[in-house]
This record gives sequence, structure tokens and C-alpha cells, in this order.
Amino acid sequence: MKTIPSKVVWLCWLFTIPVFAQKSPFKPVFTNMTEFGVLFGQVRYNVTAMAENVSKRQNVTAQTFNGVQLRPKLAVGATVGVDWYNSALLMPVCAGVRYDLAQPGKKNLRVFTSLDTGYGFAWLNEDPTGYETRGGWVIAPGIGFRIGRPQNANFILSLSYKRQEAEADKPLNWNEIYKIENRVYNRVALRLGLSF
Amino acid sequence: MKRFFYVLLGILLVGLNGCTDKCKETRTFRQFTPRTFTLAQVRQGVQTEQARTLVNPGKIYTKDGFLLINEIKEGIHIIDNRNPASPKMVSFLRIPGNGDMAIRNNILYADSFMDLVAFDISDPQNIREVNRVKDVFPNGQFDGGYWSLNVQQELINDQKVEYVTQTVNTDCENGMTNGGCINCMVFDSRGGIVQNFNSALSGSPAPSTNGTGGSMARFTLYDKYLYTVSQSDLQLFDIKTPSDPKKGNKVSLGWGIETIFPYKDKLFIGSQTGMHIYDNSHPENPVRMSTFDHARVCDPVVVHEDKAYVTLRSGTTCQGFTNQLDVVDVSNLYSPRLLKSYPMKNPHGLGIDFPNLFICEGAYGLKTFDASDAMKIDQLEHLEGFQAYDVIPLNKSLLLIGQDGFYQYDYSNPKKLKLLSKIPVQRPYPAS
Repeated sequence: MKTIPSKVVWLCWLFTIPVFAQKSPFKPVFTNMTEFGVLFGQVRYNVTAMAENVSKRQNVTAQTFNGVQLRPKLAVGATVGVDWYNSALLMPVCAGVRYDLAQPGKKNLRVFTSLDTGYGFAWLNEDPTGYETRGGWVIAPGIGFRIGRPQNANFILSLSYKRQEAEADKPLNWNEIYKIENRVYNRVALRLGLSF
Repeated sequence: MKRFFYVLLGILLVGLNGCTDKCKETRTFRQFTPRTFTLAQVRQGVQTEQARTLVNPGKIYTKDGFLLINEIKEGIHIIDNRNPASPKMVSFLRIPGNGDMAIRNNILYADSFMDLVAFDISDPQNIREVNRVKDVFPNGQFDGGYWSLNVQQELINDQKVEYVTQTVNTDCENGMTNGGCINCMVFDSRGGIVQNFNSALSGSPAPSTNGTGGSMARFTLYDKYLYTVSQSDLQLFDIKTPSDPKKGNKVSLGWGIETIFPYKDKLFIGSQTGMHIYDNSHPENPVRMSTFDHARVCDPVVVHEDKAYVTLRSGTTCQGFTNQLDVVDVSNLYSPRLLKSYPMKNPHGLGIDFPNLFICEGAYGLKTFDASDAMKIDQLEHLEGFQAYDVIPLNKSLLLIGQDGFYQYDYSNPKKLKLLSKIPVQRPYPAS
């Protein structure tokens, strides 16, 4: 029994080494992108059955992408963040991709796109009495710039779109039997950060 | 190609949703509409009809293998349950304004708005009205809707209850909305309690020639008397001759009375604020002994000998915010003592057939416990996948009412309950 794990490890080595060796100049390395920013949006809601009102929303967001630079232009990893919505503190845990689109003029500026998708958890959220907030599916495609030499730490500026679903049970009034709120946060995120 | 895909995906997502948060609140609530009946309409409305589906089941009563399930305000479903594996819907006894019942020998007592009606049920296929005590109940409440008797004009002023589901766009905040209806500010004149099925039954069976009901009933039998509680009074009926009930004493109790149950020679009368204890050594004339305010009666309670098992849950009209099972030593009725609390998820009704304890966990299903040691109650089984509201353990057969059905389980092996049958319930509102 004891020999089997070592065989598996050996096989894995056999398969992985050629990948590493294919293009000798590039080796997959750990990469990190940490950003802070603001989620901008608005909400249209009923004041009465007939009339609606609109409010603007700005909420703080932070996230960190940690992954492997598989190819010179492609990084794959996990993104963990925190989004402080007005009535929910959600923690999205996502699978993420970063892909470099262009390096205009071969200067120290690179344009990249990003895509994160996963589930926003309500672990950190504290609910008021009678409420129960649950998270939901989240997807966030985006585009951004990295400023700095590829070998060094870079400064990042990014613009992304975020769709976050959530759900909340609300306390019942005396004549109510059932009350639930389905939320979809559609936001534009403007972020600043660092990558290495 | 990949670039194109990204751009397309981005445009698609933004285009579909914009940058606007979409929050929809869906709520179902009771809407009350006033209506009136003449007393003649109510009295002529009594009849036996074909069996029908359970919609809004209320109290449950069992006698001699038959199961009587109240359809709130409509009547009583008669079910032949001699074989719990295949209960047969026998008939539906239509009784306008019915909410409670009690059975002695072959006589079923049921309320019908203002009247107490006695039925001969010796042949369940052919139930006959044998007697009626007129105009004894001045007012009452069903499912949140109130009715009152107008003796002069011979009218019942009633509130029809309808279930309305509404969806409104909210601002995604935790504020309380009233569904976008400015005129919908509600005032709860009753102090905020809506007595629903959830707390309507739970109790341990007692062998007698009487039928068995839950301990949260408003009707109870003791000695030669039928005790009924309205919202403010205890009304006695002399049933020395079961087929000929006579109006007896009336005792004023104070507002907010919900339940009555006899325990030894005491009467326990549960109100929204506390528990009244009446000495019943003279059954024709119960005398108040004391009131204790420790118990919040809207929390389901079952008692086995000197231990009471109470579940507390959040989000009820009783304003509790914990979810737990409390085991209370009640050997001294004047000073109950908490022995231990056990955390629960969302407990509703419970039932005990010592040492088996059954707790409905709402959307989290049913849990079975071994309660032989109050300080160490062990979970034996957890059934999930349905919403359970209340249970009655009855001779190795567990009656359970849930959102979508009336279930019967065999609990001869409490570690593995066996589903015997399910009678569907079609509720007029979604699961909460």
C-alpha cells in the first residue's frame, strides 16, 4: 500500500515536467493582485404602488486575486474579497482568470481583462433582529491597466462590472405569513491596487 | 477570439442589467374583508358533504381510530385512520365558523360561531345534529380574522380572510416596507398574536372514553363538564347527558385567553401574557388559585411528569429571538426552574411520548430525541426535506402536520421512523 502514493507522485512528475520544460524561458510563478475600490450603482424602488424613487449607491469593495501565471499572458487562481453593501457584508469567493490583452508600444503599460465567478458568502454579515441574509452567485468581468515593468510590482487601475445575487428573510408583520427579498446587485467597480 | 468573447460577455451582462440593483420583496399576507351572516344562514349551513382536500387544517382530534381534522372556520374532515398506512377520507362535516371540538362517547361537540352544536357520530358516514346550545359564544377569532355576535339584529359580523401575495421593488435595505401601500398601516388591536396552526396542537394523549386532542385546545372535557374558553371567558357546559348539553357557569378570565388543559385537579388556562391556574376540585365552579407570568404561552410546551419541554424560536409573533429547547423543572408550579437549554434551528411544535421527544424544526424537518436524561438529551434521527410544524405522538404512530401534508410515522424504532402515509394539504400560501 505504501508504494502506491509514491508511484502517483512519480507519475505526476513525469507528466508535469514536460509542461514546465516546453518553453524554457517561462516558468509558472505565483501572482497576486490586491485591489481596493468603490462599487457604483443605483436602485429604483416603489414608494407607493404607483410611484418609484431612485437612490444612488456607492459601496466599498476589496479583493485579492492569488494564482499562478500559467503563460506569460494568462493567470488562473482564486479571488477572495469583501463587499460592504448597505445592508449586507458579503464575501465573494471566486475562481478567477487574468489575461493580458495588449502592451501598447511595448512600454510599461499592459491592458488586461479579468473574469471572476463564484459565490458571495454572508459569513461576515451581521443581521438585525429577525433578518436572515444569504449570499448568492456572483460574476464580475472587467478590464484594467497594469503600470510598471512586468518583472516588478505593478500598479493597477481597473474597471469591472459585478453582478451579485443575495437573498434575505425579513421579519413578519402581524398579518404576514411569508416575506423574502431577492436581491441582485448590479454594480460598476472602479478599483486601484497592486500586483506582483 | 477570446477578446471578442470577453467584450461580448461584458456588453451582454451590462446591457441586461444596467447598473441598477434589483431587489424584489415577495410577501404573503392575510387580507381581511368584512361580511355578515344571518344566524339562520349559519344554523342551516351544517351538513355532511363529500370528503375534500385539506387546505387550512386546524385542531386535530382522535377517537376510536377515527381522525377529525378541523378545517379552520369551515368544518371537520372525518378520516378513517384505523389503518394508519392508508387513511381514508370519509366525509366532510360542514359547520360554519368551526374551530374546536371535543368528543364524549358518541357525541361530538363543535362550535359554530355563536352556537355549541352536538352531533351523533356513531355512524361516521351519517353524522346527525342532535342538539344545539344557542348564542353562547359572543365573539371569536379565526386565523387572525374576528367575528362577533349581534343578538338584536341576529347577525354575525365576520372578517373574511384571504391570502394575498404581492411583489414590490425595494431599495435593497433592511427597512420595513408595507408593500408600497400607503393606507396599509396596520394596527393590531389584539396585542399582536395570531393564533395559527403552528401552536394549535401538541400534547400527550390520555386514555378515556373521551377523544384525544392537543394540549393547546380551547375545548376540554372533565368530569361531567365540557369547558370551553373564548377570548375572555370560561364557559361551562353540563354534559351529564352527553346528547343534551346545557349551558353552565361562566367565569370571566381576562383578555387574551388561548388554551385550556386539565392537569390532575387543576385547570391550566393559557393566555398571551401568562398562565392562570384554576382549582377544579369542584368541577362546576373552578376557582382561581394563581397566575404565573413566567411562561410565554405562545411557545409550544409539552409536559411529562415534573418536566416541561418548551421550544422558543425567533421570528414569531411572540417576539422571541432565540432558537432553543428549554427543559424546565415544574415540580413546584409556582416557581418553574430551568434545567438546561439545547440549541435548535427553528423549532415549532413538539410532542413527547416519554422517553421519545419529537421536535418540528420548520423548514429543517423533524428531529427525534431520547429525553430519558433531561440533562443529556440525545438526537436519534433527523428527517429533512419537508417543512414540519407540529406533531402528536399517539401509540407508536406519530401524527405530523407540515406545509404540504399530514404525515403519519411509525416510531416503534425511534432511531428510524417509518413513513406510513401522507394526506396532502394544499395551502393557499407558499412555504415560509
